[in-house]
Amino acid sequence: MFKYTIKRLLQSVVTVLIVVTIVFLLMRMLPTDYFFTEDQLMKFTPEQKEEQLQAAGLLDPMPKQLVRYYGQLLKFDFGESRRIQNGVDVVSVIGDKFTISMKLGCTALVISLFVGILIGIIQTLNKDRILDHVGTAYTIFVNAVPSLVSYSLVLAFGSKVLGLPSLYSTRNPSETSILPIVCLSLASIASYALWTRRYMVDELNKDYIKLARVKGTSSAGIMIKHVFKNAFVPLAQYVPASFLYTIGGSLLVERFFSVPGMGPLLTDAIVRYDVNVVQTLVVLYAVLGTLGVFLGDILMMLLDPRIKLTGKGGTR
Amino acid sequence: MTKEPILSAKDVEIQFSLRGRKLTAIRRCSLDLYEGETLAIVGESGSGKSVFTKSFLGMLDSNGSITHGSIMYDGKDLAKYKKEKDWRTIRGKKISMVMQDPMTSLNPLKKVGKQIQESIELNQGIKGAEAKKMALEMLEKVGIPFPEKRYNQYPHEFSGGMRQRVVIAIAAACHPDILICDEPTTALDVTIQAQILNLIRDLQKELKMTVIYITHDLGVVANVADRVAVMYAGQIVEYGTVNEIFYDAWHPYTWALLSSLPQLGVKGEPLPTIEGTPPNLFNKIQGDAFAPRNKKALAIDFEEEPPFFEITPTHKAKTWYLDPRAPKIEQPEAIKRLRASMEGRG
Repeated sequence: MFKYTIKRLLQSVVTVLIVVTIVFLLMRMLPTDYFFTEDQLMKFTPEQKEEQLQAAGLLDPMPKQLVRYYGQLLKFDFGESRRIQNGVDVVSVIGDKFTISMKLGCTALVISLFVGILIGIIQTLNKDRILDHVGTAYTIFVNAVPSLVSYSLVLAFGSKVLGLPSLYSTRNPSETSILPIVCLSLASIASYALWTRRYMVDELNKDYIKLARVKGTSSAGIMIKHVFKNAFVPLAQYVPASFLYTIGGSLLVERFFSVPGMGPLLTDAIVRYDVNVVQTLVVLYAVLGTLGVFLGDILMMLLDPRIKLTGKGGTR
Repeated sequence: MTKEPILSAKDVEIQFSLRGRKLTAIRRCSLDLYEGETLAIVGESGSGKSVFTKSFLGMLDSNGSITHGSIMYDGKDLAKYKKEKDWRTIRGKKISMVMQDPMTSLNPLKKVGKQIQESIELNQGIKGAEAKKMALEMLEKVGIPFPEKRYNQYPHEFSGGMRQRVVIAIAAACHPDILICDEPTTALDVTIQAQILNLIRDLQKELKMTVIYITHDLGVVANVADRVAVMYAGQIVEYGTVNEIFYDAWHPYTWALLSSLPQLGVKGEPLPTIEGTPPNLFNKIQGDAFAPRNKKALAIDFEEEPPFFEITPTHKAKTWYLDPRAPKIEQPEAIKRLRASMEGRG
């Protein structure tokens, strides 16, 4: 088990390293203008610019810059923001926004996990009956309709009928978070319901369920002890990863409700060529994503005895 | 046989609804099962052997139901059982079943020992350490070495034969009266087959079980069974003791089945096969269901369903050949050869 964990951990580190390298190289293909604020660009003469770039090491050969970047990362030095907040450390630019996004994301994740799995279970218990079809219709609706349309529906319903505030406000975060969280959960509820139902129905049709029935297990016992437990194993793998998708989804939701989170920050930074901010955000997303998959695998290994614990590649 | 049957199915009809159509899988089929015996049910795929026996413990798929007849067991009519709760008084404790494929019959995520223990806890009201002790005993009983260690292992750490032993342990853990073995060796290696059959036989003696084998392997039948029932298109067409079926069969389908035994083939001649296909069970069947595939069918075979004719008190066949009014029909060569070989052996 230990070996497997170490192996997966190393793979994750390599993955992150590759992402970091690619992002860095792509960013360096941009014109060096990004190093200056809009004002500086107007004022500085070409010689002045050259001098500044030289001083910052941006004219060094690429490999040298790359190695320097790795070094900075190891010291958790992510550089300074240029365009968004000139001269401010990237970490503090992202900091607050990260907290807001995480709060929304985590709440949405917990809600969708519970509601989604619950819907999936209800659908399985009522397979091919009306409740099952309603659940499927919901899943199809959420996936087929562009998310902005469903967000608008939530917004319209929430603000008109329930009287909830339609824009996020830092002064009243709990109440104004409700609609963004609902929107964030919509898609993941659908996918949890879909997968829960799918895996449970899969398990229900397996032979060992028949043997369990033959030996006299009650329907409830079969559902709890066999079906749900076994169906949860493949599901568990997606839980950490879906965390990332929930945050990723916030790109749109946060813009829609003007939540001052990471989503708008990323688009802002891209539009305004704030290289260090973009770089750091992408690395952050990559780390979260890789961590999600890594944790998913570890969780799966703990739950499923069939996954080889001896590290020789495993047989899955 | 003067004994009272332990289980008696009468005129059982089982229908499945498939896309709005009714399929009659079992057509008024009767069967008596006597205590302590080993009965083999043989027949080709789709003849209804599994469906028929599954109905004894309410394991029909949800689109199937018993639409006629009765299954009397212990003074109760199982055909009337509808509720899960009723069936749970039967399953495991009274009637149990071993399924065909041991590779998929066990929950892959549960310790093997726990799965046996679960069966004991469910049906015998024993919990915890004592149930575990019984599970360990059961593991030993089905011939699994190092039960203590094996108890804590998962199904994927067992070979196919060993898994089938575990499945048998689960099915027999509550000492059922009747154990239904649905092709218990089909998925196994030939060398393992004999071991599993021996194991079932030993357990049967020890636990005083009545065993029903469902199989299409006549070799297995000859090895283990006391009595044989031959099924065709949802009906039992002939039944008798093993010797009566193997050496003095009378139903043309039994003949065809026996004639296609590889052991009976004549060197240089192609092995006989049964031509045609079984009837479509969506349609109503007129006369003898096997008639269209029987080259020597009588005219009446296409008109009217034959009743059972008694050959000996234990041997009956459902064919017009045995009617006194029928023209004299000889048993085919292969059957005669079989009998000769038996008489030769004395």
